[in-house]
Amino acid sequence: MHGSGEKHLTHLREDLVKNLRLDFFDDEDIESVLRDLQYLDRKIGQKTLALCQTLSHASSSLVPRTLKRIKNASRFLSLKEMERWINQAFDILDHQGVDHFLHFISRIDEESLWDFLMPKGLSLQEVAPVLEAYVRGISGLDLKIAPGKESYTDTSTLFVPHSVSKYEEREKNFLLYKFMLVHKWAQMVGGTLTPDAETLSAFLTDSDAPHPDIETFFRLFPEKDLAIDLYTVIEAFRLEPFLAKELPGLMREAESMKKDFLKERMPLSNLTGKSALVEGLYRFYLKGDIEGPVPGVLNNAVEEVLRLGNGATLYESMKTLFRLYDAATGLGGSYQPRSTLLFLGVIKPEEVSLHLKAERRARIKKLEGLITKLINMPAFEPRKTSFQKTVFSEKTPEPAKEYLLIKGRIIELDEETKGFIENRGGIPGGIMVKGADIGGAGCPMTLTELAEEEEIFQEADGGIKYDEWDYKRCGYKKSWCTLFEHVLHPVHDGFVDLTLKRYSGYISVLRKKFELLKREPKIARRQKEGDDIDIDAVIEAFCDARAGLSPGDNYFTRYDRHERNFAVLFLLDMSGSTKGWVNEAEKESLVLMAEALESLGDRYAVYGFSGMTRNRCDFFCIKDFDEPYTDVVKRRINGISPKDYTRMGPPIRHSTKILKSIEARTKLFITLSDGKPEDYDAYKGDYGIEDTRKALVEAKEQGIYPFCITIDREASSYLRHMYGEVNYIVIDDVKKLPNRITEIYRKLTT
Amino acid sequence: MLNAIKTEEYVIEEEPFYLPSGKEIEIFESAYKNLIPVIMKGPTGCGKTRFMQYMAWRFKRPLITISCHDDLTASDLVGRYLVRGGETVWLDGPLTRAVKAGGFCYLDEIVEARKDTTVVIHPLADDRRILPVEKLGEILTAPPEFLLSISYNPGYQSVLKDLKQSTRQRFLAIDFSYPDKRLEKDIIMHETGVDDLTAEKLVNFAEKTRNLKDRGLVEGASTRLLIHAAKLISSGIEPRTACDVSITEPLTDDHEMVTALSELVSSIF
Ligand SMILES: Nc1ncnc2c1ncn2[C@@H]1O[C@H](COP(=O)(O)OP(=O)(O)O)[C@@H](O)[C@H]1O
Ligand SMILES: [Mg+2]
Repeated sequence: MHGSGEKHLTHLREDLVKNLRLDFFDDEDIESVLRDLQYLDRKIGQKTLALCQTLSHASSSLVPRTLKRIKNASRFLSLKEMERWINQAFDILDHQGVDHFLHFISRIDEESLWDFLMPKGLSLQEVAPVLEAYVRGISGLDLKIAPGKESYTDTSTLFVPHSVSKYEEREKNFLLYKFMLVHKWAQMVGGTLTPDAETLSAFLTDSDAPHPDIETFFRLFPEKDLAIDLYTVIEAFRLEPFLAKELPGLMREAESMKKDFLKERMPLSNLTGKSALVEGLYRFYLKGDIEGPVPGVLNNAVEEVLRLGNGATLYESMKTLFRLYDAATGLGGSYQPRSTLLFLGVIKPEEVSLHLKAERRARIKKLEGLITKLINMPAFEPRKTSFQKTVFSEKTPEPAKEYLLIKGRIIELDEETKGFIENRGGIPGGIMVKGADIGGAGCPMTLTELAEEEEIFQEADGGIKYDEWDYKRCGYKKSWCTLFEHVLHPVHDGFVDLTLKRYSGYISVLRKKFELLKREPKIARRQKEGDDIDIDAVIEAFCDARAGLSPGDNYFTRYDRHERNFAVLFLLDMSGSTKGWVNEAEKESLVLMAEALESLGDRYAVYGFSGMTRNRCDFFCIKDFDEPYTDVVKRRINGISPKDYTRMGPPIRHSTKILKSIEARTKLFITLSDGKPEDYDAYKGDYGIEDTRKALVEAKEQGIYPFCITIDREASSYLRHMYGEVNYIVIDDVKKLPNRITEIYRKLTT
Repeated sequence: MLNAIKTEEYVIEEEPFYLPSGKEIEIFESAYKNLIPVIMKGPTGCGKTRFMQYMAWRFKRPLITISCHDDLTASDLVGRYLVRGGETVWLDGPLTRAVKAGGFCYLDEIVEARKDTTVVIHPLADDRRILPVEKLGEILTAPPEFLLSISYNPGYQSVLKDLKQSTRQRFLAIDFSYPDKRLEKDIIMHETGVDDLTAEKLVNFAEKTRNLKDRGLVEGASTRLLIHAAKLISSGIEPRTACDVSITEPLTDDHEMVTALSELVSSIF
């Protein structure tokens, strides 16, 4: 037994050395690897050897790295724990691959190892879906939950620790998670992190910052840590009554938690000055007594914060902050920031500010793109008096209004654009001018019109023309877009086969499910022939006959395979933005959908679209209605790849045309995309949304049922408008798409 | 003794409790006076049926309600011959009776009916206002007191359950959505006698479930579900249990969603 074990080890060692040699390790390196292995405990050493041998088959360079990590980890972990740790690493390597493995073994800081050792805590991963639904329900906002070192929010994502193990009981740890989340929610409702301009203007002067936010506010305090800790607890006092009213059940339960946290705090007697005041407030918040070295000041502070509980405004909270801050600094001493409470979390003004700035930047970038493009456009001929003029009424610049002057063109500013420019801090170099300075000359145009004019002379030949809806004009632009049909190039890369293999278990369930759907028996009444007599029909006929009417001849009931008569067209977004996961998910979904539809026998066709500008809308055929699901079709699915932009109108109109030519009782039109319609030119924002919406309405008017599936983390609010109340679904995680889509189809057609 | 009355004699004597959320009563009145039929759009359990009862009471008209299902035939609506003691007798269907009696005919959940059944209401629903009774070879003209109304829940996702344009374009549509918070609270209190605080908590919970529509739930909790829960509570069931069995479980089977909703319940109660 022992002997064969030794033999096995020798074999592993030899194989490892061989692999290292093959990867050009010199003798010295190999020597050092073997020495490292030697130094480990015998049992650990054996496991590590096996691990290294496996790794060396992937890449020898992983071996020394791994050994180093193992050596480090063994400084924190006992032998038993070490064994468990290596086992888990090995498991991860086997089941999740090298990347996950490397990630796991790189987490050998104290905190991570602690997490590894304390698996009895509740991990966020386990409860994140429930928590996310919980806070979305409570807030009505599309908030995300993500793991973070502390609990805080940037107003869009709620960060909470990736595990909580304060309590033995799972329920209590879960309660703690909920408690953290609702405090963040209260802060958002109360405006804690996003004071409006008016509130801020009471404390800041105009010169402080062009766009003051909570971060600018805290710059007013030389001791920022002190101010933030005070603000956090002050706001907790202000908002707690709100929480108690909205979520009485939760707050009742959580109340007892405060005592548990109180126990952990440092005794007040060890603190002095400001630290004692702040700590005193936190202790009072946790239902502690008012005590410690500064009872007088603390008493006053407590009175102040309690007053805030009666529906005070944010402004009053901020006022209180200033007073308490002054009182605290008056006490002297240095401030040791140690006050944070897990469930109250921390306030990170910089994170909030960064997030708000990022949002603003995204808006500005959009505008800048447009303006830069305009500035770089070739100089135009002066506007010709042509067809254009009769469409857009001749306008003259209004003296008081502001316009952009770009290469002699006068461009109107709509509210949105103006907002962008203001946010950006204005546009330099006399590009922005008052109407009065232009004089009566020239006819102002909108940004959209200008962008279009650029292209108006370059019409492409061939292709199919489609109208486009211009919501500003409330009319169609005739034959505005040109669509070209292509057959997608087949590719041999095995994507479909791989998907079939990966989902093989699911597919067989899927097939059965759809098979059932096909066979779903239904009693058809009043049939000319059938399995049984339709008593109702016979009686009625009998009566009719007695009354002298012709009795008809439909007296039977028949078990019917519920006769399906569907034709469905799938239209896939192949724009550049789908690159990566979305594209893959689209393709996987298609593969599954095809399996389902093949077993169901519904007729289906698949097309993809992309393009650039109205002159080149590409429409790719992947499978026509009359085409069987062959290997060529599969190869075309392999070949679905991200291309250019998303001008949705023309491909929708083209799909409608195709569906119109198909005979079927119910015609379904399912689009798969990843968000906003957007083209290189002016097909953006409201314009694109309105045209898409219009194109879908047109389809509906033709008796087609459109259904739009959007993969979008944001679940943006424009979708409802664009797609119409009941005709869409948002999937916030692409990974869910392949499973969801077949379910959606099933629901749609039963 | 059970007291049976004929369908067309079902006149509501006592004022049904109905709290308007907007101008629906005025709109309905003027539609009625102008002989325009009415669609009531909205999710289930938001007061459409109750509204019909109220309007029928207001105008002192009999209310004939027909719940549609996929076996409903045109004869079921219009009428058929029966044999009684060797004689053939014609029996009017509820729709015909409603027309003759000048009543309010309410077709509940119209999309559930077969498409070929739905078309018999078309001539009644446009300005002809007639009902052809084919088997009798007769055409009935509806008196001005007659009103046709249908209910329809646009939230269904099945394309088979969409209302055809040819049907919907004959009607004036009143949009019903959940009553606003204060109103809904009053409704619950009035219907079930629960106290102010309980009603408020129920409404708060409902709001949270409605936030989850399209975020995991097909639909949020309806007023009807709230009333069910409130009834259980007032007969002594513990509020959290009452909400779980009469709101959470009926809303979804998805395990994670059930958990999240239960958490919301226990956070609120
Ligand atoms: N506006 C309202 N006024 C009074 N009761 C209402 C109102 N809205 C809803 N309800 C209550 O909700 C219950 C369900 O409403 P119902 O009319 O049956 O819904 P629907 O017909 O829309 O499915 C009613 O029994 C009633 O108790
Ligand atoms: Mg009803």
